[in-house]
Amino acid sequence: MRRILFVTLIMFLLLMAAVYSAENDTVQPIFSSSKYNSIENYKIITEHFTGEWQKYGEPFTILQKEYVRKIYFWILIAIPGIFVLHYLVIGPKKFPHEGNKYLVFTVFNRAVHWLTAISFLTLTVSGLIMIFGKYFGGGGLVRTFRYIHFPSAVIFVPLGLVMLLMWLREMIIAPGDITWFFKFGGYLSKKTENIMPVGKFNPGQKSWFWLGTLGGFVMAYTGYYMYSFAASTDNLRIYAIIHNFLGMAMLIMFLVHLYMSLFAIKGSLKSMLTGYKYEDEIRIMHCRFYSKLSGKDCSK
Amino acid sequence: MGRMRFLCDVDRCIDCGGCVVACKEGHQIPVGVNRRRVITINEGKPGEKSISVACMHCSDAPCIAVCPVDALYQREDGIVLVNKDVCIGCGYCFFACPFGAPQFPKGNSFGARGVMDKCTFCAGGPAENFSDKEKRLYGQNRIAEGKAPLCASMCATKALLAGDADKIANIYRERGFKRGSGANAWGWDKAYNKK
Repeated sequence: MRRILFVTLIMFLLLMAAVYSAENDTVQPIFSSSKYNSIENYKIITEHFTGEWQKYGEPFTILQKEYVRKIYFWILIAIPGIFVLHYLVIGPKKFPHEGNKYLVFTVFNRAVHWLTAISFLTLTVSGLIMIFGKYFGGGGLVRTFRYIHFPSAVIFVPLGLVMLLMWLREMIIAPGDITWFFKFGGYLSKKTENIMPVGKFNPGQKSWFWLGTLGGFVMAYTGYYMYSFAASTDNLRIYAIIHNFLGMAMLIMFLVHLYMSLFAIKGSLKSMLTGYKYEDEIRIMHCRFYSKLSGKDCSK
Repeated sequence: MGRMRFLCDVDRCIDCGGCVVACKEGHQIPVGVNRRRVITINEGKPGEKSISVACMHCSDAPCIAVCPVDALYQREDGIVLVNKDVCIGCGYCFFACPFGAPQFPKGNSFGARGVMDKCTFCAGGPAENFSDKEKRLYGQNRIAEGKAPLCASMCATKALLAGDADKIANIYRERGFKRGSGANAWGWDKAYNKK
């Protein structure tokens, strides 16, 4: 009896030892592929070449396929449509171009403005031609515009930096700028008296300035990586999404800027060419700036 | 019509790189462009496996969806091809592809990418079959000749299968059934025929 108990005890201990050693066995038996069967292998391998495609690749694909071109199309249709309506209903602002005039934009200001404008226009046009490339038949024509897109950005970035430093002080947000937006500064009214008092630049111009410069640098940064492929694929996908959607905001503001300067305020194009603005125009449109220039109260 | 597919048997691929070399040499692909590549996991460890990857010729391919100029198209037999006359080299297909299949040779002014190049399933391109232009831009058109793609044809272990999706899936299934899978695939019982 004692013998049987002894043998059972020994066997039990051996079994425990076997279980313990089996559980702690970290060396893989060469011929066992229980840990590495085919399905597991495909899973591991798939991670290596698709990464987490669902995280950024899929959103990029869906946005690019379903939304980007459509949104750009509707921006190009709707925003000018709103402007036509504004022009017909409210009409442009006209000011007498005679009497006292003040030099508002120096030669340096104008040179920077126009060079930036030209490079920005080239970027916008070449970008839009790429987005709507299939309607231009693709190939050499669209490819040429893609090649133009890059040097235009190279010209734009330093000029944008100069512009940022040049107008930085005037463009800082001033009190009343937020409330300006609730009424669009009075531009939705026919009466010029309703235009709200602002400094040298109104909040609309300020927002275009910040979007154009800071947004422009983001566009340049993301665009550089999309051009050079010098980032991980996931980052390239994020950059492409940012580039395309920030581009929409910039296009909207650019169209607004074009409308205001070419059509909505008569003579504003001329003032950007000559640098001079007439007294009445500054008094009404840039009330606080006028007070500073002339020392007179602007409300009269 | 059948649907063309690649299928790489990871239990057979030995990472010899033959498919890569065959493709590069046969299509005279420039330096820096690899239409096919071999990925190896757990290299030098138990459970090392390799797989040969090129364009997967996806149904509902993301590259076709994002192309702004419609340069990519899918044939009736499922082969995804690129029209190099239309492609502008923007790289969006590369951002969309889960497999990194689209390749962009460098060499234009300002380091700009050229037009996209990728695996054609050895089916050439939109240019006329067997024309000089097709050969120069897209490489050989072995499908039109009635041959399998170069990579699969020369695979020494027949790990890389190419052809009608149903047929190659059947081959793979039969292989798996015969050799067993998981813990039953290898072991003393297979070596010494012990029951």
